Amino acid sequence: MAPLADRTPLAGRWILLGLLLVTTGLPFLTLIVTSLSHGWFWPDLLPSTLTLEHWRTLVDGSPTRLLPALRSSLALALGTGVLATALAFPMGRAMARLEGWRRFAAAGCAFLPVAVPPLVLGVGLQFSFLWAGLGGTHLGVLLAHLIPAAGYVSLFFLGIFTVHDDRLEAEARTLGASPWQTLLHVTLPVFRRPLVEGFVLGFLVSWAQVPLTLLIGQGSVPALPLEVLSYLQAGQDARAATGALLLVFPPLLLMGMAGALLKGRSVVVA
Amino acid sequence: MSTRRPRGRYLPLLLAAPVAVGLVYAGLASLGLAGTGARGWTLIHWVRILGDGAVWRGFGWTLWIAGASTTLATSIAVLLAVVFRGRSRQDRLARLLTLAPLPIPHLVAGVSGLLILGQSGVLARMGHALGWVASPADMPALVADPVGVGLILSLVWKEVPFLALVAFSVLASRGTQLEEAARTLGARPLAILRWITWPILWRGMLPAVVAVFAFVVGSWELPSLLAPSDPLALPLQILERHTDPALARRGEAFVLTLLSLGLALVTVLLHETLRARWAVLER
Repeated sequence: MAPLADRTPLAGRWILLGLLLVTTGLPFLTLIVTSLSHGWFWPDLLPSTLTLEHWRTLVDGSPTRLLPALRSSLALALGTGVLATALAFPMGRAMARLEGWRRFAAAGCAFLPVAVPPLVLGVGLQFSFLWAGLGGTHLGVLLAHLIPAAGYVSLFFLGIFTVHDDRLEAEARTLGASPWQTLLHVTLPVFRRPLVEGFVLGFLVSWAQVPLTLLIGQGSVPALPLEVLSYLQAGQDARAATGALLLVFPPLLLMGMAGALLKGRSVVVA
Repeated sequence: MSTRRPRGRYLPLLLAAPVAVGLVYAGLASLGLAGTGARGWTLIHWVRILGDGAVWRGFGWTLWIAGASTTLATSIAVLLAVVFRGRSRQDRLARLLTLAPLPIPHLVAGVSGLLILGQSGVLARMGHALGWVASPADMPALVADPVGVGLILSLVWKEVPFLALVAFSVLASRGTQLEEAARTLGARPLAILRWITWPILWRGMLPAVVAVFAFVVGSWELPSLLAPSDPLALPLQILERHTDPALARRGEAFVLTLLSLGLALVTVLLHETLRARWAVLER
């Protein structure tokens, strides 16, 4: 299969695998242990007492900023994922039909909101959002997240439609199917996999977003990453680690679900 | 409706429109024509930024961080892709471990970087257990250090999965056939690596490498947690000026914003040019 891979000394492969296990695993392990700690003093390798208190506050109704932030972040990411996919699907298709310099320019347009740092975008757009009455609102933050997300997902669909052949849909129309019927019974089933993958991509762009939430949300739209930052700045490492783990689970879960739903290839990021 | 002028050919402009709006506003604000504290046409913000040594040092430092972390992450991704591209269980486990951090937000990498690499962090505690580190002060500073070791390591941890994903798929989609052909013709494994695998890999990975570099230059989360205050990374300078209580200084943030946008535009051109070139080679 792979000539060099077969010839790499076996010991070398095991050493690399061991290193991978440590470098991938240690950060997660550190977060888990920190989230279970209650005062973890130097130079203890592990906390002297382990506690579930930071996790319990999430379920027993005691006041915590993490829970509303989690809900708000989930809503933003789900909304961004759905809207970005709905927008990027026709966009990718239209872009794939272009040729020559038009195609080059179109891909450049889609890559622009991806390449411009969210912080720069936020600073440039803050005034316009405030002017439109969208500053400090969920809708405003959602639209702000949508800007880079639509770019990412459009590039993804451009890749999909570049290799796709749309004769199947043309055939359905020829046989008398209405546009809606074609969409429902041909397009959606055919594109089930990329649609799910596009949604996951849009979700992740919003889920990890910090500067746009900060600048457009103006502190009145709660979000998990912002709470993690503020706990960290307050020196509350255990709470910050709990929040960080809350940021880890949904993406892993989503990737796992998408993987199971679409058994076979892994999710490919454009 | 002819094939030369397909429907929806102006749709992509919609994606770039918000960037254009931000660009125009930042342009006006940088010239004192818009924004809080604006007092009419002036070039003072440009003069101040371009003449500020701290800005240039921060810019240089940001380029160093992006260059070092992108180079390191690319090397690791290539190594992993070449070694673990097979079909054995070990290969699949290695690929799973490599790609696991892919969907994890950068902020999480920053938090664990802080907890592991800080002077009283997990690494220092391990050093203490081994008798190497007596007190936190003995631990070399890896967080907020002038070289940016902690920042670079955290960035590498976060960027390797994406670059490795690209490397794995480049090898899987274009590598095998050519390598088989070369082997049939009697090429040795090292010659195949040098003349087939490596050229395919770097051409296929270049657009992704450019994208990662640009992303790192502009990303705010990790530097805000792990970077020193002097030199101050470019994104941190933007937010610092944008939220400065002295309103007159806020205009300077827009100059930096425009410079960042310019850098992003260059990246877009480079990325699309490289990709278009590679697409031709694919045929």
